[in-house]
Amino acid sequence: MTEQDQFDSNIDQGADTTVALGKGLDVGTANLAAAVQNDEGGITVNVERNAFLDIPSDAYSKNMLTKLKVPYVVHNGKLVVIGEAAFELANVFGRETRRPMADGLVSPNEQDALPMMKMIIQKILGEPQVPGENCYFCVPAPSLDVDNNVVYHQGLFESLIGKLGYTARAINEAHAVVFSELADNDFTGIGLSFGGGMANACITYKSIPCLSFSVARGGDWIDKNVANVLGCPRSKATAIKERGIDIRDPKSREEEAVAIYYRSLINYVLSNIKSRFESGQNMPSFKEPIDIACAGGTSMIGGFIEVFREEFAKIDFPIPVGRIFRSEEALTAVAKGCLVAAAIGES
Amino acid sequence: MESVNEIKEALSARSRTATLDELRSEGRKRVRLIRAEHVAQMISEAVHAAIEHSGLLDQEEVDRLVEKSRQEFKSILREREQELARSRETEEALEAREGELTELKSRFGELTRALASTRAELQQVQSELEVARELPAPVAPPPAPAAAPSSDMLMALVQEMANLKANLMQAQAPQAAPAPGADFSAAIEKLAGSLNDRLETLGKKMGVSAAVGGDAPTDFGSLFDAGESKLESNMDNIQVKQKAGGGIAANLARLKKLKGGG
Ligand SMILES: Nc1ncnc2c1ncn2[C@@H]1O[C@H](COP(=O)(O)OP(=O)(O)O)[C@@H](O)[C@H]1O
Ligand SMILES: [Mg+2]
Repeated sequence: MTEQDQFDSNIDQGADTTVALGKGLDVGTANLAAAVQNDEGGITVNVERNAFLDIPSDAYSKNMLTKLKVPYVVHNGKLVVIGEAAFELANVFGRETRRPMADGLVSPNEQDALPMMKMIIQKILGEPQVPGENCYFCVPAPSLDVDNNVVYHQGLFESLIGKLGYTARAINEAHAVVFSELADNDFTGIGLSFGGGMANACITYKSIPCLSFSVARGGDWIDKNVANVLGCPRSKATAIKERGIDIRDPKSREEEAVAIYYRSLINYVLSNIKSRFESGQNMPSFKEPIDIACAGGTSMIGGFIEVFREEFAKIDFPIPVGRIFRSEEALTAVAKGCLVAAAIGES
Repeated sequence: MESVNEIKEALSARSRTATLDELRSEGRKRVRLIRAEHVAQMISEAVHAAIEHSGLLDQEEVDRLVEKSRQEFKSILREREQELARSRETEEALEAREGELTELKSRFGELTRALASTRAELQQVQSELEVARELPAPVAPPPAPAAAPSSDMLMALVQEMANLKANLMQAQAPQAAPAPGADFSAAIEKLAGSLNDRLETLGKKMGVSAAVGGDAPTDFGSLFDAGESKLESNMDNIQVKQKAGGGIAANLARLKKLKGGG
């Protein structure tokens, strides 16, 4: 049990704390998730939706929200409902939620939502156990198809996390998937994160990234296109998608639309990896087949991995590939990978 | 005398007046013309023949009538000749304009080609830019202070390209009435030149920013502060959704082994 021994020694290093140091934060377009270690040696992931809704502020509403366990913040004289509840309320009021991020990055026209994001992050991360505790947070790789400014985004969250008392370090989102899912492969392989705003890809050799990129297509892109072809609101498209359908076996025109765009998204990501790999220099030559690990909320749909394998078989992939699988904790794998990076940084 | 008028009326009733522009717009390139003298002569011959056959008028009366008709036709002829001269002038003017049009068309072609090559250049530069932006290693935190100039430069570049495009569009639009001597290709060259300069500066900036380390991170902190000392909220009393995430012991053990060179 050498692995256990080494883990124990890691815990022992945490001086006067019983819990090992380091935290992981997944800063996603759809969800904010913080992975922390608990005193049983396992990990807990705190998740909140990255969305808001403002409603008129009055004492009655505040009381009511607290009774209903709905989190709110008062900002600029308005009651701002936060997270999952904002979605439910938005449906009741027939409105759209405000989303501070779009396509994987802080959205320039939602700057005044930043204080609310700070509150959520503070809530899910908790206080640092020691001043300057490591917190690794994920950032998207530069995008192939949109002109995004990752540097500004990253600087913003470095500042925020620093203000909360942590030492903030950025890690590529798909790299985090590798840290979380490919331990058995010595962290050699392909990590894919299919999120709400983006899909991120990272190819690593012994934990070192050799190619990473993102495309601005994810769950939101599917929702938008499905809503377009069906002529329905996006929230309806999201609901169809999340209600537990299987994209191998669509049961209606609506499910058909979801299946078509899923296939298109998967194919797009795969062909981009292929062409990036073929045109890239200093690429390692993998002699043994490498594994592909998928994570992210968008990968949670029924039939995802099977359709992925079908699309994979259609293109002539430039490297030998062994297993293609989805993380058992698809929604929290990125946060967990960030935590692994943070913990190893603490040891 | 009356019969001559009748002939005139009959002629005008059975014919129509059309300007050359109208004929052209109907797609007619040529029209048949008959000289008024010929009409007059034909009429005179016909009248002579008819009268001779009828024996109603004496020769003198006939000659007088014919002479009168002749005079009348001469005046009509003069009118027609003047009309003809006027239409010739119109035709010449038309030809001149056609020439201008052909020239404009070829200039438009040139401009379109120039625009296409400028576009291609832009695309090339853009993709080079993309490659340049992907260079920094993903794990190393990029220098925050350098971020501002490069993103500004990007914005400036995008703005520049938009301006360039707008200018080219404008240059193409007024082809119906071109400013005399306006040299559009020169304008395009100038714009492309300034674009290149911009890109060079940008490349240098990005190169520099990639080389210089970021010792003093920019403070974005104020963006997260709402101005109020502490926001009123019920968040302290509310539990967030929690998920069990398994363990990370095996991952850490593997990583340590890798790091230790094992
Ligand atoms: N069961 C599900 N089936 C299909 N899609 C889902 C499911 N659950 C969540 N999603 C989608 O996953 C996306 C959010 O995934 P997440 O990894 O949290 O994104 P991000 O990293 O951008 O925050 C959303 O588009 C959401 O609609
Ligand atoms: Mg994510």
